[in-house]
Amino acid sequence: MSNEVTENGVSRRTVLKGAALGGLGLVGGGTLLSSCGSDEATGPVTFTARTNDETGLKIAQALADAYKAETGIDVTMQGSGDTNAFQDGISQYLQGTPDDVFQWMAGFRTNFRADQGLLADLSDNISNLGDQMPEGFVSGATNPSDGKQYIIPTTWYPWGLHYRKSTMIELGLDPENIQTWDDFMKLLEGTQKKGLIGYAMGDKGGWEAMGTFSIINTRMNGYDYHIDLLNGRAKWTDQATIDVFNQFAMLIPYMNKNFLDISWDGMRDLLLQKKCGAMMMGSWWANDFLAKSQEDYDDLWIVPFPEINPEFGRDSIDAPVDGVSVASNGSNVEGGKAFAEWIGSEAGMLAAQAAGDTSLYANSRLDTSGYDAFNKQKLAVIGEAKNVMNFLDRDCRNDFAGTIVGPAIQNFLKAPKDVNKIVDGMQEAWDALPPLE
Amino acid sequence: MTTTAASTKTRRRRAFTRGDKFTLSMFLGVPTFLHVVWVWIPAIATIGLSFTYWNGVSLSNIRWAGLANYDTIFTAAPQFYDALRNNTYWLLWFTFIATPLGVLLAYQIDRKIRGSKIYESVYYIPVVLSLAVIGIIWKFMLGPGGLVQALLGYPEIERAIPIFSNYDINTYVILGIASWRHIGYIMLLYLAGLKSVDPSLREAAAIDGATEWQTFRKVVFPAMKPVNTIIIVITVIESLRAFDLIYIIYGTSTGWPILGMLVFVNIYGQAASMLGAAYAVILFLLSIIPIVFYLRTVFKDDVA
Repeated sequence: MSNEVTENGVSRRTVLKGAALGGLGLVGGGTLLSSCGSDEATGPVTFTARTNDETGLKIAQALADAYKAETGIDVTMQGSGDTNAFQDGISQYLQGTPDDVFQWMAGFRTNFRADQGLLADLSDNISNLGDQMPEGFVSGATNPSDGKQYIIPTTWYPWGLHYRKSTMIELGLDPENIQTWDDFMKLLEGTQKKGLIGYAMGDKGGWEAMGTFSIINTRMNGYDYHIDLLNGRAKWTDQATIDVFNQFAMLIPYMNKNFLDISWDGMRDLLLQKKCGAMMMGSWWANDFLAKSQEDYDDLWIVPFPEINPEFGRDSIDAPVDGVSVASNGSNVEGGKAFAEWIGSEAGMLAAQAAGDTSLYANSRLDTSGYDAFNKQKLAVIGEAKNVMNFLDRDCRNDFAGTIVGPAIQNFLKAPKDVNKIVDGMQEAWDALPPLE
Repeated sequence: MTTTAASTKTRRRRAFTRGDKFTLSMFLGVPTFLHVVWVWIPAIATIGLSFTYWNGVSLSNIRWAGLANYDTIFTAAPQFYDALRNNTYWLLWFTFIATPLGVLLAYQIDRKIRGSKIYESVYYIPVVLSLAVIGIIWKFMLGPGGLVQALLGYPEIERAIPIFSNYDINTYVILGIASWRHIGYIMLLYLAGLKSVDPSLREAAAIDGATEWQTFRKVVFPAMKPVNTIIIVITVIESLRAFDLIYIIYGTSTGWPILGMLVFVNIYGQAASMLGAAYAVILFLLSIIPIVFYLRTVFKDDVA
């Protein structure tokens, strides 16, 4: 009867961090993959990719092909058509005639559907994966209401300030050494003076700017306050929250003016075309840089968002975990589970890697020594943080994040002076929400 | 008396043979059945659900909420009044600008001015496109990197001027795009109506020395009454049901909120409430009231 998104508590964060840094060393042992344990899993499997961009579909198709080559089981892959629509309509999709397996994200978006019986229990598959699946990811994938897992974690990525090394060298700026907010402002100013966009922003989708809001909130008020805010234990009308918006407003002069006309891919293109300095985003689109050219990919770098309040330093980060889930309403649930397990296994991850996936993998067999410089930097950025968040729209109930927070931040970006009116509206909307169960 | 009654009776009996009854029941019954199943039952279910909390998954999760959803909409939904305002703009724009323009075009083309066939085709072309397609076309043209941006001298993404997100102009842009199609639609409907007006009426008016405007207002316009009714109803419905164009341009982020969009984002699998159903009921009432009112006035006149 509570309307808060139940959190998994500290364990996930600490263990996840451990896994990222050192835990991957466990690899050596060479325990043979106790192959899938589901002999009854035959028949063709259908698979929906969440992404629709060329690279994402290529990777998904590569997974399907590699699975077919290994097991002889046909996998039909399709894109979701429109990623936002797919995510918003997932409950309807799962009640219809869904594909057996689909790419999905850990957190509220999985657990809520699992509670409704729409997702197949993957706990056995997770335990089949054994030591390939670090504890931190298992706890991150665990639904707090029943202790089972409904998603097989595959990849994850940090949210941070992305930039091109070559651009910064040209400008004579050094983002690696921004420690404080003042340093950061100087960096943005320096970029803007040279005619580039200081802080690229594209919030047409309504979620992109949530990353900036969350990180400023954790920097100023700490992780606990942020999670409390997203779950109704703190108020949007609190002065602490209003201060976050006001801090956010200081970035607006450095943004491109058409921030509500472009989406995340517009921001990515700005960076790709060397039109902007810093860009606050999750690193998942690094694949697109690699698809463009190795040179572009090597030029890409990420640093943590700067410190604001020394009390919290840079102790929090958004590092959402993506994975694959199995629809309980699919036509081949057992086959789907086996395929999902395979995707999460070393073989699946290697297939994705071969197809150009540059993500950080959950699977511990893919040890960090094989990572390229950018991935090592991503791990370092995550490793520095004590608290790992799932991103605002997975840490908060969907009927608040999508319908209220998204438009509210858009309105705020348009008219930062209206902040009091905006937070009043948000708090009223929160108070009017019915309990989740 | 008896004879008339008897003859009516016989006539009625003769009118409905068994075959007739079967045909009638098929012609009336099947559409009625489908209509009830696919329109009325969902509509009534929506009205019922608007008084509940439900996440849309299993029926046992439905809980009675009374007027809570409506209360939320009227007191705690930041976008409701924006949406109401935008729908009102849409209705006013269509009523006073787009529809009269369509009527004017139809009237001009009907006068067989030179090249009227070409004008007719040009104005009608957008009507064959759905609003979704129109949304895609204009999104590409006006969005960053689009043709219009290039013509304005801002071909690069970073310099592209905000159009869809600029609150000073986006209402006009959206309504302009919607009118692009609506004008042609109204024109064609009206043109069809004009063709059916007896030319002798106009000749008579001309002989009586009526000016062009007087002829239109006093002779042609009243003669077009059935078409006028259809056009008014279409204008109201098109304005209130607006959705596809906005969805294509803004997605679910409701950058330019309208009621149809709020129904969608609040019901589409995300929510624990039935806020979307309550929005749908509000939209339903807004649509049905003017239409019922108008149709009643019209049919009353017909009977009298």
